[in-house]
Amino acid sequence: MWLPLVVMLVVLGAAWTWGAHRFPYLLPPLRAVGASLTGNAAYYLKNAGVTLEEAAGGLAIGFVAAFAVGVLISELPVARRAILPIAVVLNVTPIVAIAPTLVVAFGFGPAPKIVITALICFFPILINTATGLRSVPSPMLQVYQSVAASRLEVLAYLRVPSALPFIFAALRIAFPLSVTGAVVAELTAAGSAAGLGTVISTASSMNQLAVVYSAIFVLAVMGALLLLLVTIMERRALRWHDSNAQP
Amino acid sequence: MDDAVRAAAIEVSGARKVYGEGPSATVALDRVSLTVEAGRFVSLIGPSGCGKSTLLRLAAGLEAPDQGTVRVHGVAPREAAAAKLIGLVPQTPALLPWLSVLKNVTLPLKVNRGASKRRARFGDLGNGQEPADMLGLLRKVGLGDVAHKLPAELSGGMAQRAAIVRALGLQPDVLLMDEPFSALDELTRESLQDRLLDLWGELRTTVLFVTHSIAEAVRMSDVVVVMGSPGHVVGFVPIGLSRPRDPRLLEDPRFHGYESHVRDLLRNAWSAPDAA
Repeated sequence: MWLPLVVMLVVLGAAWTWGAHRFPYLLPPLRAVGASLTGNAAYYLKNAGVTLEEAAGGLAIGFVAAFAVGVLISELPVARRAILPIAVVLNVTPIVAIAPTLVVAFGFGPAPKIVITALICFFPILINTATGLRSVPSPMLQVYQSVAASRLEVLAYLRVPSALPFIFAALRIAFPLSVTGAVVAELTAAGSAAGLGTVISTASSMNQLAVVYSAIFVLAVMGALLLLLVTIMERRALRWHDSNAQP
Repeated sequence: MDDAVRAAAIEVSGARKVYGEGPSATVALDRVSLTVEAGRFVSLIGPSGCGKSTLLRLAAGLEAPDQGTVRVHGVAPREAAAAKLIGLVPQTPALLPWLSVLKNVTLPLKVNRGASKRRARFGDLGNGQEPADMLGLLRKVGLGDVAHKLPAELSGGMAQRAAIVRALGLQPDVLLMDEPFSALDELTRESLQDRLLDLWGELRTTVLFVTHSIAEAVRMSDVVVVMGSPGHVVGFVPIGLSRPRDPRLLEDPRFHGYESHVRDLLRNAWSAPDAA
């Protein structure tokens, strides 16, 4: 089962070594990356922690906001018409363009990074929540209309559970995306003192390629672990869903 | 209570329902009038598009007629729904996939708890009755063993049985069923017809049953209402067969007589030119 991946990694490793040999200014030798990681593990872990905090904070805020707005626009058509176009514009705007403004507003600490991360995670969660809330089949709604269930009851008992598969699909995107958001924020918001994005930008300016790629490796592992986390959460919450029944 | 006052569980008067506008407007119901007496089992049968499902939806309060009135136990269907007088069994079981069978059939009892007060004012069946034993009801229809399973683990027939239990658990004054057995194979259908008749025999609620099977309509009902396109009643066929309606009834010549009568009415309805 693991063989294809192992073969792939070996091939990539070989290609990398060849590339590092041929273009020493582009790629550091794998050995150097390994040495940097093991030699400075604490340094990478500490900065990983900072980035993770920013990512988690942004994700949490983005999720709560997107869920709340999602419920709002699914219940009130007028809200949908008012808010959805703005959300679309937000989604296509390069958030990093407003990073300097956010630094002015929130200062140099983690706040601008959390805001940027939240903005990046917001749209996919919003769209999927709104779509999911509206995905209840008519006959189901009719049964509960015929007993005059209130709007809140329909929301709690029918709509939210129906929306969960959609919301988890969005979270599978948003969890790793939050890390990207935090890193991008560190790279663009002035005054970053910590975090893996900062590590990359500092090391890059000093041509410490091994450090840059070590940081990238740590980010990749972080992203993979977050994806694993959300997959585990999804499997437990959606035990009833078709997608878990299929091989 | 006066029999005449008690008589009409569902009263449709000149109901008209049109979908869409202008030249593409479809007349689903064209001034239909119909009375369903309390405690009766009435079937609605007709070709596709004759409005029988629309009529059911009006009775359930899911839609309102454009003209005319619909009354359930003397009040508007929405009010009847608010008092939980109505039990609806849709065409597909529509069970919630994330809940077990038992939780699925008990959920309608949990919502709209204020209904019991309203119910005391109308309706004959809900007053001061013991709440139904849902697990017992499930056992009666043969779902006792799967009560804690998820809907995905049920066959079509089992899911539809669960949907019926869900509606009956409310002990509704009016049971509205929209072709509940049409998606099932012949033998499962007959078995479910038996079970439904058994359960109905105990509860004696009013049933409005939409079907496209002539045999089913004649087998189950006290009256068969034949509808034709577009949205009008072609005729009423009272079924004078005694209850309980044994499966051997299907051999009885009177049964075939009723079937022929219904078939004739349907044929006329089917070949009649569409009104504008």
